[in-house]
Amino acid sequence: MASRKEAPSGKSLDSPVRQIQIEGLVRPHHQALQGSEVVQGVLLGLVVEDRLEITNCFPFPQHTEDDADFDEVQYQMEMMRSLRHVNIDHLHVGWYQSTFYGSFVSRALLDSQFSYQHAIEESVVLIYDPIKTAQGSLCLKAYRLTPKLMEICREKDFSADGLKKASVGYENMFEEVPIVIKNSHLINVLLWELEDKSTAADKHELLNLSSSTHLEKSLQMLMDRVDEMSQDIVKYNNYCRSLSKQQQQKHQYIQRRQQENAQRQSRGEPPLPEEDLSKMFKPPQPPPRMDTLLIASQLSTYCQTIKEFTSQNLGKLFMAEALQGTSSYS
Amino acid sequence: MSRFFATGSDSESEESSSADEITPKATGTTFNKNKEAFTTNLILCCPLRFRFEELTNIIKTIRNAMKIRDMSKCLEEFEQLYRAFLKSKTIVDKEGVPQFYIRLLADLEDYLNQLWEDKEGKKKMNKNNAKALSTLRQKIRKYNKDFETEIASYKEVLNSSTNVISLCRCQDEESESDDDEDSEDWGSDSVDSGGESEDNEGAAASLAVVFLKKYKDGRRKRHKKIEQVEEEVDEDGEAEEGGWEKVKGGVPLVKEKPKMFAKGTEINSAVVIKKLTEILQARGKKGTDRAAQIELLHALSGISNENNLGQGILVKIKFNIIASLYDYNTNLAAFMKPEMWKKCLECIDELLDILFENNNIFIGENIAEDSENLAISDQPFRVRGCILTLVERMDEEFTKIMQNTDPHSQEYVDNLKDEGRVCGIIDRLLQYLESKGSTEEVCRIYLRRIMHTYYKFDYKAHRQLLPWVTGPFSEQDQEESEGEDSAIIMDRLCKFIYAKDRTDRIRTCAILCHIYHHALHSRWYQARDLMLMSHLQDNIQHADPPVQILYNRTMVQLGICAFRQGMIKDAHNALLDIQSSGRAKELLGQGLLMRNMQERNAEQEKIEKRRQVPFHMHINLELLECVYLVSAMLLEIPYMAAHEFDARRRMISKQFHHQLRVGERQPLLGPPESMREHVVAASKAMKMGDWRTCHSFIINEKMNSKVWDLFPETQCVREMLVRKIQEESLRTYLFTYSSVYDSISMETLSEMFELELPTVHSIISKMIINEELMASLDQPTQTVVMHRTEPTSLQNMALQLAEKLGGLVENNERVFDLKQGVYGGYFNRGTRTRP
Repeated sequence: MASRKEAPSGKSLDSPVRQIQIEGLVRPHHQALQGSEVVQGVLLGLVVEDRLEITNCFPFPQHTEDDADFDEVQYQMEMMRSLRHVNIDHLHVGWYQSTFYGSFVSRALLDSQFSYQHAIEESVVLIYDPIKTAQGSLCLKAYRLTPKLMEICREKDFSADGLKKASVGYENMFEEVPIVIKNSHLINVLLWELEDKSTAADKHELLNLSSSTHLEKSLQMLMDRVDEMSQDIVKYNNYCRSLSKQQQQKHQYIQRRQQENAQRQSRGEPPLPEEDLSKMFKPPQPPPRMDTLLIASQLSTYCQTIKEFTSQNLGKLFMAEALQGTSSYS
Repeated sequence: MSRFFATGSDSESEESSSADEITPKATGTTFNKNKEAFTTNLILCCPLRFRFEELTNIIKTIRNAMKIRDMSKCLEEFEQLYRAFLKSKTIVDKEGVPQFYIRLLADLEDYLNQLWEDKEGKKKMNKNNAKALSTLRQKIRKYNKDFETEIASYKEVLNSSTNVISLCRCQDEESESDDDEDSEDWGSDSVDSGGESEDNEGAAASLAVVFLKKYKDGRRKRHKKIEQVEEEVDEDGEAEEGGWEKVKGGVPLVKEKPKMFAKGTEINSAVVIKKLTEILQARGKKGTDRAAQIELLHALSGISNENNLGQGILVKIKFNIIASLYDYNTNLAAFMKPEMWKKCLECIDELLDILFENNNIFIGENIAEDSENLAISDQPFRVRGCILTLVERMDEEFTKIMQNTDPHSQEYVDNLKDEGRVCGIIDRLLQYLESKGSTEEVCRIYLRRIMHTYYKFDYKAHRQLLPWVTGPFSEQDQEESEGEDSAIIMDRLCKFIYAKDRTDRIRTCAILCHIYHHALHSRWYQARDLMLMSHLQDNIQHADPPVQILYNRTMVQLGICAFRQGMIKDAHNALLDIQSSGRAKELLGQGLLMRNMQERNAEQEKIEKRRQVPFHMHINLELLECVYLVSAMLLEIPYMAAHEFDARRRMISKQFHHQLRVGERQPLLGPPESMREHVVAASKAMKMGDWRTCHSFIINEKMNSKVWDLFPETQCVREMLVRKIQEESLRTYLFTYSSVYDSISMETLSEMFELELPTVHSIISKMIINEELMASLDQPTQTVVMHRTEPTSLQNMALQLAEKLGGLVENNERVFDLKQGVYGGYFNRGTRTRP
C-alpha cells in the first residue's frame, strides 16, 4: 500500500488542480465525535505543479454557546503561526468537513467553498464520512466548484435564466478531484506489520450482511429531499403560471391601448401618454433556483451512495449464496 | 320653551338647589347690586329668561368643575358658555351684560391664575387637565379684555364687601320679607293665569341665583302654600300632577311622607286608579325618581288595602310595582340590587297568593285597558297584565345576578340560595297556569321549569339505582326521597311540550334539556336516540346563540355520558367538535376568550357576556378535556401502531397529536404535573404496550382528585378505564411487536395484560378478522402464529419513496406542460429530447 490511487476520473479537469495527494498523517482528528455533529477544519499543504499536496490539518474549535465572541480567524492565524514554528507547511489550501450518509451538499458548503476558492484558487473541500469509514470502507472525497459555478457565484445571479445561460446543471456544479494517499515509509512498514498480525475475524466487518439500517437511513434522507424538491417544483410551477397570466394581461392592455390610440388619431385627438408598463405589471418574484439545484445535486449524491452501497451488498449476498450453495453440496 | 312649560315647577326646585350651591360663593353686596338689576328685569319677556337660564345652568356646571379642579370639563363648559352668550347677544345688547356672567368671568380668571401659580398642584394634575388649564387661561384672558371695565367694577365691589358685612346682614332681613311677599304673589298668580305665573316663577328662578341663605325659609313657607293650593285644585288633574311632582322633589329636604291624597278625599277605586295612571305617566320620563316611584306604588297598594278596594286593584298595583322594579335599572346590562331583588320576589309571591286565593280574577295580556274590571262587583275581576312575562323576567334577572356575582365568593352562595325561591315561584305559577293558562303559556312555564331542572343531578334517584350503597337511611334522606323523581318530571314536562308546542324554539330547548338530563343520569341510549330522532345536528347552526350554547352543553354532556358507559368512540365523536376548535370555554358559554379588540368591540363583548351561563351550571372544562384526551388516546395509540408505515395516515384527533408534540418538545421531562401531562405520559407508556405504567398515569391520586372523583359513579368509571387500557395496550403491543414474534401464546398475553383468556382470544380474533393482524390462531396450543406477509420497514420506505417520486414526476410534468403550452406534452413529445 505504498500509494493507493483512487480511480482517476476520465474527464479532464480544467482547473489548476488535477490531483490531490494526501499524506497519510492527515486524518481528521474528530473520530471521537461520531455523534450527529458536523466537524470542520483547515487543510494545510502546498501546490506542486498540478498537484495539491495536503500535508497537515487542524480542526476548527467546537463552538459552544457561551463563547460566542470567540475569534475564529484569530485562532487560525495563531495555529498556523505555531505550525510554521515547527516547520510544517502552513499554506492554507482548503478545508474539510465530516458528513453522515453523504448529506453535505448545502448552501453553507457552497458559500464557504466559494469564498475559499475565491481567495485561494487551489483550495478544495474534503468530505469525510466517519460512519462509513468505521464500517470498513474509507470514504474520503475532494470537491471543488466548477469554474462555471464560480462565475455565477461571483455575479450572484441565481435566477433561472442566469443558470440556464451559464448552462449549470446539478451535474456540473461540483467537480470531484481524484485523491492519492501517500504514506511515509515508516507508516507503510507499520501497515504491513499490522496486516500480518490481524486475524481473519477482524476482517469480518467487511462481510457484514445486515445493512438495512444504513439503507433505511439513506432512504429516509432521500425521501426528505424528494419532498423538498417537490415543494420547489410546485413553487416554480406557480411562478410560471402567474408569470404567463401577467404576460397575457399585459398583452391585452397594450392592445387595448393601441386600439384606443388609433381611435383617437382618427378623431384627431392627441394619443394617450405613454405609461410605464413595468410599473403597472410588476413581474412576480421568481423563486431562487440555486436551492433547487443544490437539492438536485444532493439527491444525485444520495443516489450515488445508495447505488454504491447496494452494489457492494449485492456482491456480498451473491458471495454468501455461493458459499451456502457449496456448503450444502458438500 | 315647551320643556319649561311642562315641568315648570320642577325647574323651580332645581333652581333652588343651584342657589344653595352658589350661596357660599356669592357675597352680600353683590346680592344688593344684583337685586336692583333684576327687579328691573322682572317683567322681561320669555326669551331673555330662557337664555339667561341657559347661561346660569352652564355657569353652575363650571363652578362645580372648578370645585373639583376638573379643567377639561371647565374648558368644555366655558366654550359652551361663550356660544350661549353669543346667542343671547341681542338681549344682552338691550339689557346690558348680566351680572352673574361678569362675576363668573372674574372668578374664573382669578381661580385660573391661582391654579397657574400653584406649581405643585399643576404637577399633580394629569396631562389632559394641565393642557386644558393652559388653553383655558389663554382664552379667558383674551375674552375678558372685552369686559374689562365690568370686571374691574365687580372686583372693586368685591373688595369693599368686607366692610359692609354688617350692612348686608340687615339687608338680608329685609330680603326675607321681600321674598315672602314675592312668593305670595307667585302663589296667587299661578291660580290665576298660567302665562303670568310662569313669568313670575322664572323671575324667581333668576332671583334664586341672587338670594342667599335665608332663601330656604322662604321656600318652606312656599311649600305650605303649594299644599294649600293643591287642596283647592284637587279636582283638576293637571294641577294635581304638578302638585304631586313638587312634593316629590321636596321629599329629601322636607322629610315628610309623600301625601297621596288630600285629606278628606273619599278614597274609592276610581280615584286610586286615576292616581295609579298618574304615577305611571311619569314612568320612563327623564328626571323621574324611580326609587320614589316604587315607594309610591307601595304606598298606594297600602292605601287600597286599607280601604278594601278589592283584589282587582291590588293585583293591578302589584303588577305595576314589579314592572317598575324591573325598570329601576335603565341599563340592560346592569343587574338588580339585592334589596330590589328581595322586594321583587316578595311582590311576586304576594301576587301569586292573591291569585290563588281569588279564583275570580282574570289576568291576561290581551285584556284591553278599558275593558278592565277592577272594581268590586259581581263580575269577576279582569286585569290587564301577564304574570308569566313577569316571572320570566324575574328568572332572567336571577340569571343576570348570578352572572354578575363573583362565583368564588360567599355572596354567590347566598344568591344561589334564592334559586329555591325562584323555583318555588315557578312551581306555583306552573300550578296556576295549568288550571287557567293557555297551552302556549303552559309550554312557556314548563320550559322555565325544565331549565331549572335539567342541569341538576338527582342524587336521590341515583342512590335508589345503586342498591348496594343503601345503608341505614337517615330521616333526612327519607324526606328527600319523598319528592318526585326529576326524571319523571322532566319526562312529563318535555312530552307535553313536544306534543303541544307550536314555536320551534321551546321544543328545541326542551329536547336539548331532556337529552342533557338523560345524559347526566347515564341514560345513554335514551339520550342518544332522542338526539338522533330530533335531527338537531343538521340544523342547529341556524339557531340563535343561546340555543347553540345549550346544544353544545348537551353534546358535551352526551360525550361524557358515553365515556362513563365505556363507549369511547361515541364519546370521542361527541366531544370532537367542541374540543377541536380550542374554544370550548366560549362555545359552552363559560367565559370569554382573551382576544384583541379588533376582533370584538365593547358592544359585542357585552352581548357575549350576557350569554354566559351562570357558574353553578358550568361543566368542568378540565374534566371535559381529560375525557376527550383519554378517549382520543384509547383510539389513537393502537391506530398509530397499526399504521406506522402508512404514508397517508390520517389523524383521528388533531388536538391529541398536538398535546403529544408539545410533550415531545419539552427539553426535560419531569414527572407529569397537569392533567394533560399525565395523559401524554400515559400515551407514551401505552405506545410501548406497557399498560401498568399507563394505568398508573391515568388513575392515581392526582387524577382522581382532578377528574375522576367528579363523576357520580367513580368506581365504575375507573374499572371501565382500566379494562379499556388493558385491551388497547394489548392491541398496541400486538401491532408494534408482531414482527418480532413467530408465534405467541395467548396465555402469556393474558398474563401480561391481566386479561382473561377469552377476552384475549376475542380481541385477537377481531384483529385477524379486520385484517389488522396477519396471523392465525392455533387452537390446540392456544397460540397466535404470525404470518410474514406484510412488507418490512425497508420495503415500506421504498414504497413511500416510490409514491413520492411519482408525485415529483407529476409536478415536473406540469412544468414541462407549461413550457410547451399543451397538456400532456410530456407524453406526446415523440422523438424530441428533453431540454
